[in-house]
Amino acid sequence: MSVTNLLDNWAEVRHFHPIDDKPHDPYKWAMSIDLDACIGCNACAVACYAENNLPVVGREKFQHGQVMHWMRIERYWNEDDREFPDQGAEFLPMMCQQCEAAPCETVCPVGATNHTQDGLNSQIYNRCIGSRYCSANCPYKVRYFNWYDYPTTDNVWPAEMNYQLNPDVTVRGKGVMEKCTFCVQRLRAAEVTAKGEGRIVREGEVQTACQQSCPTNAISFGNLVDPESRVYKQWKAQQVDLAKDEQEKDKQEGGSDLRGYRILEDLRTYPSVMYLERVRESAV
Amino acid sequence: MIDSEFDRRDFLKVLGWGGAAVALSGCGNTSIEDGKETIVSYVQAKDYVIPGVAVYFNSTCAQCDAGCSITGKIREGRVLKLEGNPESPINKGRLCGLGQASVQHHYNPDRVREPLLRQGDKGEAISWEKAYGLINEKLSGVKGEEIAFITGDVSGHQKVLLGNYMDSLGSKNHFVYEAAAPAVVRAANLKAYGVEMPRYRIDKAKVVLSFGADFLGTWVSPVHFAQQYAAFRKGVDGQRGVLIQAESKMTLTGANADRWLAVRPGTEGILALGIINALGIATGDVAQLVKDYDKARVSRDTGVEPSHIDKIAAILRLRSPSLVLAGSAAEGYVHGMQNAEAINLLNYVLGNVGKTIESPVSVPFPQLAPSKGNTASLKRLNDDLAAGKYKVLFNIATNPVFTAPASYKFGDSMAKAGFKVAFAHYLDETALQADLVLPLDSEMEDWGTHVPEYLTETAQINIQQPLMERLHANTRGMGDILLALVKQRKPEEYKAFDDYYGYLRGAMLQNKGALGGAEKDDDNFWNDTLSNGIVKLSGPSSALSGKADVAGLKLPAPREADKEYPLRLIASVTSNLRDGRHTNQPWIQESPDPLTTIVWDSWIEMHPKKAAELGIVEGDIVKVTSRTGSISAQVYVFPGIHPEAVSIPIGRGHEAMGRYAKGYGVNPFSIMDSVFESTTGELAMHETNVNIAKTGQRVIVVKDEGPVGGKQMGARIAVSRSTDQVDLSKEV
Repeated sequence: MSVTNLLDNWAEVRHFHPIDDKPHDPYKWAMSIDLDACIGCNACAVACYAENNLPVVGREKFQHGQVMHWMRIERYWNEDDREFPDQGAEFLPMMCQQCEAAPCETVCPVGATNHTQDGLNSQIYNRCIGSRYCSANCPYKVRYFNWYDYPTTDNVWPAEMNYQLNPDVTVRGKGVMEKCTFCVQRLRAAEVTAKGEGRIVREGEVQTACQQSCPTNAISFGNLVDPESRVYKQWKAQQVDLAKDEQEKDKQEGGSDLRGYRILEDLRTYPSVMYLERVRESAV
Repeated sequence: MIDSEFDRRDFLKVLGWGGAAVALSGCGNTSIEDGKETIVSYVQAKDYVIPGVAVYFNSTCAQCDAGCSITGKIREGRVLKLEGNPESPINKGRLCGLGQASVQHHYNPDRVREPLLRQGDKGEAISWEKAYGLINEKLSGVKGEEIAFITGDVSGHQKVLLGNYMDSLGSKNHFVYEAAAPAVVRAANLKAYGVEMPRYRIDKAKVVLSFGADFLGTWVSPVHFAQQYAAFRKGVDGQRGVLIQAESKMTLTGANADRWLAVRPGTEGILALGIINALGIATGDVAQLVKDYDKARVSRDTGVEPSHIDKIAAILRLRSPSLVLAGSAAEGYVHGMQNAEAINLLNYVLGNVGKTIESPVSVPFPQLAPSKGNTASLKRLNDDLAAGKYKVLFNIATNPVFTAPASYKFGDSMAKAGFKVAFAHYLDETALQADLVLPLDSEMEDWGTHVPEYLTETAQINIQQPLMERLHANTRGMGDILLALVKQRKPEEYKAFDDYYGYLRGAMLQNKGALGGAEKDDDNFWNDTLSNGIVKLSGPSSALSGKADVAGLKLPAPREADKEYPLRLIASVTSNLRDGRHTNQPWIQESPDPLTTIVWDSWIEMHPKKAAELGIVEGDIVKVTSRTGSISAQVYVFPGIHPEAVSIPIGRGHEAMGRYAKGYGVNPFSIMDSVFESTTGELAMHETNVNIAKTGQRVIVVKDEGPVGGKQMGARIAVSRSTDQVDLSKEV
């Protein structure tokens, strides 16, 4: 492939999975998050720590930007210089968007981060050499690097605390990159069970840890190629197409009344997470 | 396709290693390769234990008093993670971050492991026999009225057993203390509705007007209310619910409001009366009461713009039913009761009582219902202790030395009790002052029954059962301890029960019929009870009986600025930290505060206007001085606070309680003045006035938000759509 050809068809090269002749089958894991339901309570983030063996780095390392929260709640304010944030704050749960054309994947010198058949952006810990190119290239800043060997760091998992570690999830050592996996251990368990029974995973059979804890049910997760799944229905109803970098509905004059959107979609990352805009009543 | 694919996992399964391989690769920090780990086969596996396969047991979360039911995931005998139990009408399968973190309470490396007897400054490990003997010895010759007990909210059979033990000692001095309970609101509710806690139906309301009730974060039953809130936002009859929050310091609930009103501290009641006036639908006494509260005056007093008062009145008139809530921000003043009563009055004027304020169900066994208490109870205990009334003090897992205002000098008062026993999980500030510290099982090792204060659809008794074996050989369950103690007094009556488990089982079986097990045999009933984790009951509902009573309702004019101490200190309760009993759970320490995103430290919230006036920027260390004392902490410039107030969250500033809590942040209780609510005698938590002085030091605030703060820099990130009348109920 010539460089010209490569550049001309860059989108297609990167945008490998969801094209028409090669659809996801039988799974494409995706999520949608209703920001009008999200209250910013952090339950999802703590559930993620519990499920995925995330180390608590402590005050000093947090200050150095070395926190390992795969899922974080970003808090924004209105930007029109009002005296008070009189329409509240804006909360946004942010984790790996599991991009279909992930900028992190193309820059990994050793292929440690790549795409799975079921549409996950996976991280292979024992292949990772810690170049951190992926983190630099991630527009969502959701990749976290192990600057230290947390299992042997004081007070991260001291005796007894380590009993809590989830045996289904690897404990990462120094020098590797990590990030949200969509709770791949739960997906694989469900996929294997379903396969043993000669079927595919049914809607509701598998939940991510964040989704499971969410007090307002703001997060839905499921198989985007299963017409029975809630995410399929939501994406469909919101007219958000996984394989587009600009949605048809947004091309209309005056935009759309539908709330669904993807973050930084125009970067052509084709994220697998759809957000639903927060709504604020203007009558008060 | 699926069937013919060959993959590694199937291969492992054939060889019989499927689960084991998973267990080996992720187990702790050692590996087979280093030779540090030994494989022990289960020659005779215990029931239900299949290596690599998780089993689940139901129990009850004990992190707060909401009583959420949990399902513990257990692998190879260790509890790994908690999920909500979907069968509970309270949390319906959901669980908050605080609840998730309770595994870190269980596995906490700083738990007390042995009974400790004070020897000077040190604790000497002793046996339980010796500890029990010592208690018996110290109680001999002591009169019942010289013995006091302090506990948190307590319910179920533990409460029964505690009561029986106290009876056997002839003591009636049970002080129930929860630092952040809504005691004034309970009193106002009792007056207005005839019950302390009616059943609130946020999900049925079209407009919720909340005066500082942080029902999404900290108030009463947050996970339950959050679910109601989700339904409320989806809409009733095609209208998305509208939330208006009025408070001086933005709470998590305020951050989710359609309209957040920064109210001058203490004027919540005036705003409520102003809204009644603007509604113009009140008659009789109420109309008479509010006639002077015209918009101009109310706006001047509260700082809320007249146009907002009009808009709120308009939407309340238009959309019914609504729901008005009085929360902790309204009750923390000398006139807190008056504030709460004025706010409750709005529900009568709007006709919400009976619609969104329903009669609550109650558990048909009042002996199991929770004993509740707040700061007034601690004040009485403190006064009694200071007067030298008690020779023996039993403290069951509370920490008043940390949460009592410094002006109480609770530590000194406590020292006057001759013999102090602390039943504790950690050597916290209070346990350190005890003469005898008895280590408790965690909630994941212990048996129990709990009845939550706030019940929802049905009455229920929550079951607590061990999710795993004891981690430490010498901790004991509180129930077992009480049983052992009561046996000292009444051996004959309790000799049938070997342990608390036997007692609990016996008690439940004895009343099987009333607990819905009439048709089952004993074993089946008991097994079903444990497996469900909840006993649902049809309880009587106590009818709402109060009325719109305006007699005696008189709100003071807003406070004049104090020259020496011009700012109000709002000691805020945050959803992570609550009253500080969980600060030593690292997930909680590292979980960013939702509004400021600060971790591992305390902060002082200050409005940008006030900060500019004082020449303060983010990270400046300032000295906050009240009449009682002073503390220094970092400033976080925060737009969601009234400029006349500053706020410091409670929960940090521990001087003990282990490696994850000690030395992080400051404790605002240490500068809180002793000012009390005039009707109920509860501590008025927002009545402390302070001044601020720069120290010249500046630090980088350790927080999750980036250097640009909460700005989106023009990108479409967390966008918000402003709209009038929207229906989300048809959405998928």
